[in-house]
Amino acid sequence: MDINVKPLGRRDFLRGSLAAAALAATGTLGACATSGTGTSTQTSSAPAGQVSDTNPFGVQSGTAVEAVIFKGGYGIDYAEFAGKQVEAKQQGVTVKVTPTTKVAQTLQPRFVAGNPPDVIDNSGAGLIGVNTIRDQLAELNDVVEAKNYEGTVIKDTLYEGVMDPGTFDGKFIVLNYVLSVFAIWYSASLFEQNGWTVPKTYEEMLALGEEAKGKGKYLLGWGKEAATYYQTMAIGSAIKEGGDEVRLALDNLKPGCWSLPPLQDVFNGLKKIIDAGYMKPGGSGTVFTAAQAQWSEAEDFILYPSGSWIENEMKDQTKSGFKMTGAPEPVVSSNSKMPWEALHSTAGEGYIVPSQGKNVAGGKEFLRAMLSQEAAVNFAKTKLASTIVKGTVPADGFGSTALQSQIKMLETAGSNIFSWTVLNPADLYGMNTDQLVVWNTFLGGGSSVAELTEGLQKITDKVANDDSIKKVQVS
Amino acid sequence: MTTLTSGGLTSGVSAPPGGLRRIGSARWRRRNLTFDKITFFLVFLVIPVAFYIAFVVSPFVQAAYFSLTDWTGFSPGMNFIGLSNYAKLFADSTFLQAMGNNILMAIVVPVVTLGVAMFFATLVTVGGSTRGNVKGLRSSSFYRVVSFFPYVIPAIVIGLIWSQIYDPSAGLLNGILTRLGLEQFASFAWLGDPRTARWAVMFVIIWGLVGFYMVLFIAAIKGIPAEVFEAARIDGAGRFRTAISITIPLIRENVQTAFIYIGILALDAFVYMAALEPGGGPDNTTLVMAQQLFTTAFTKGQFGYACAMGVVLAVITLAYAGLVFAVNRFFGGKSEVGE
Repeated sequence: MDINVKPLGRRDFLRGSLAAAALAATGTLGACATSGTGTSTQTSSAPAGQVSDTNPFGVQSGTAVEAVIFKGGYGIDYAEFAGKQVEAKQQGVTVKVTPTTKVAQTLQPRFVAGNPPDVIDNSGAGLIGVNTIRDQLAELNDVVEAKNYEGTVIKDTLYEGVMDPGTFDGKFIVLNYVLSVFAIWYSASLFEQNGWTVPKTYEEMLALGEEAKGKGKYLLGWGKEAATYYQTMAIGSAIKEGGDEVRLALDNLKPGCWSLPPLQDVFNGLKKIIDAGYMKPGGSGTVFTAAQAQWSEAEDFILYPSGSWIENEMKDQTKSGFKMTGAPEPVVSSNSKMPWEALHSTAGEGYIVPSQGKNVAGGKEFLRAMLSQEAAVNFAKTKLASTIVKGTVPADGFGSTALQSQIKMLETAGSNIFSWTVLNPADLYGMNTDQLVVWNTFLGGGSSVAELTEGLQKITDKVANDDSIKKVQVS
Repeated sequence: MTTLTSGGLTSGVSAPPGGLRRIGSARWRRRNLTFDKITFFLVFLVIPVAFYIAFVVSPFVQAAYFSLTDWTGFSPGMNFIGLSNYAKLFADSTFLQAMGNNILMAIVVPVVTLGVAMFFATLVTVGGSTRGNVKGLRSSSFYRVVSFFPYVIPAIVIGLIWSQIYDPSAGLLNGILTRLGLEQFASFAWLGDPRTARWAVMFVIIWGLVGFYMVLFIAAIKGIPAEVFEAARIDGAGRFRTAISITIPLIRENVQTAFIYIGILALDAFVYMAALEPGGGPDNTTLVMAQQLFTTAFTKGQFGYACAMGVVLAVITLAYAGLVFAVNRFFGGKSEVGE
């Protein structure tokens, strides 16, 4: 996850949006007047090539595929690698990979004009809210039903449930490529040195806070742009405690969803830790990477809830000998619906294929290349993160303790893997900005559990009651 | 409109209808529409106006139109929904808070910045020794150069530098304060506490801009003949009295222009906020309209609603400029020595 500053002036913004508008006025608005609503899913009219097992989408020779890839922590070289594979497998097809750091700003005019790229890595802080464009995306079922470059049906090579976060109202339209495990991360070496064990409940966390204090360290810490990592952890813990009931209430923006007992228990557990002074103060004024370095480099605090991208994100700011290891998010009580080992895991780096692209088949072929064993192993090896393709990480995790623990947690969890759709990390309705404000106040000790609940409920209700926002029904 | 009736009814026009046109066309001919003249018109009038209409006026009109639709920003189609975006806007507590923050900034930032800039400009130009010629403080050219430094740094860099200075644990500011024995500032989040965040942010903006306005005022003051100051001094006016009664009235127009420029900047403030408080600050105390607009458009995919915010922001900016003009006129602008 990459949270960037956005140095863009209001005038630049207006200019950009209005240039887009000018395009709309000249080209597509006219087209739209004849084609009706303009929201119907149009399939590409590009002539299809011969469909076969080696060319399942019928990419035509001599065509070009345009891929726009978010250039964040993972770079774009892995996408270029897949592009080369496509060029090698499909005679006469060329692939052009273009990097971008601000997906929405760069591509917004092209969506309006009706000539989006063929495949997009829709990620990063400036991603396009999928809810906004989901009518303009091609369904990707045929991609996972096709055979990969090694001859196996792709679906059978993927981890369990990785298609769920990309499925909206029954349509699979976003292929999330990178597997993320949400956990609390710590230094195994530091814990071993001090004889600490990983806390499994919020009570144990509180007790560990006391011990850490004895060593002059804080238990937890946070950065202002990442305060909602605690929300992610809280929801994870609450779902383990209360099961699907909690998940569905939150995903479907039910009134009073934040007041459900499991969530309240988690909030109270956190509040005790905050009130005891085990949270490193000043987080609401600290840039999140600086806060994370206080954990990984200075070891000012000892536990940090985050996704598994944390290792890659902090690799230049990690103390040597810091054996970064993950543990499942804590549970509330011993009789929770799911065991402590249950794991919050979902896939990120959402790849989409716009249905109006010039070469939809080419876009899908690009995804097929990315899902090949060769490309997936290449990604895991160079980025120290697993893709959604199974069995690409060896037991030694390419020498990374974080990756080792990630694979181990996944194995231990077995079928107890869960995720959710609407709130962050997916953040379908763009509520994170508002939630950050509420969480920064709470983590800094500035509000009570009741105030936190009320603040979060207000944000949820605002979206729920706004008819202009199309909702996704989650079941 | 027919020329006949209008010509007959307009009392000021004595020539018969048709005659006017003849005279006009004759004058037109007399002007000798040479190649030079035509190209001159084309290059200096027609093309700029066409560009202005195409790239400034029409986008504004379009934005105003989009504010009346439910456009998501990514779809080719949109529905006309009348003024409901505006109704939503004025019921949106977050946006109203952002508007309030902007208005506070548009009051505090110009007054403090220009006040400080004027103070320094006076010192550097006429505030020196009272003996001999009217002059500034010793080594004033050094101060002038140094004070301009912050303006040379791009706003985004200023923001990033100060976000490091304000860092609660490793920042320069808390480092100095704790070294001075003020232990309560260890880990104090200047940008994370609702009591301090907005003032901390405003301080950065003011810090970044004082130098520029100081140089602007220096240039204006240098344009005033030294005899005026000498005469005031002979009449017994002190430094403060000279500044209030001589300098400010004489550079009134510059002050007005400065007020408008810096006010527009304070109503925008996007770049500083993007670096210092990208999330809107603690309890949204530093959220500005431009930030809210950006999130609404690109993160939430509600371009129609965002355009409505843009229109409101433009109206407030115009109102601010109008207010500055009105205040200047109220205090007798132009009628005095200003010209």
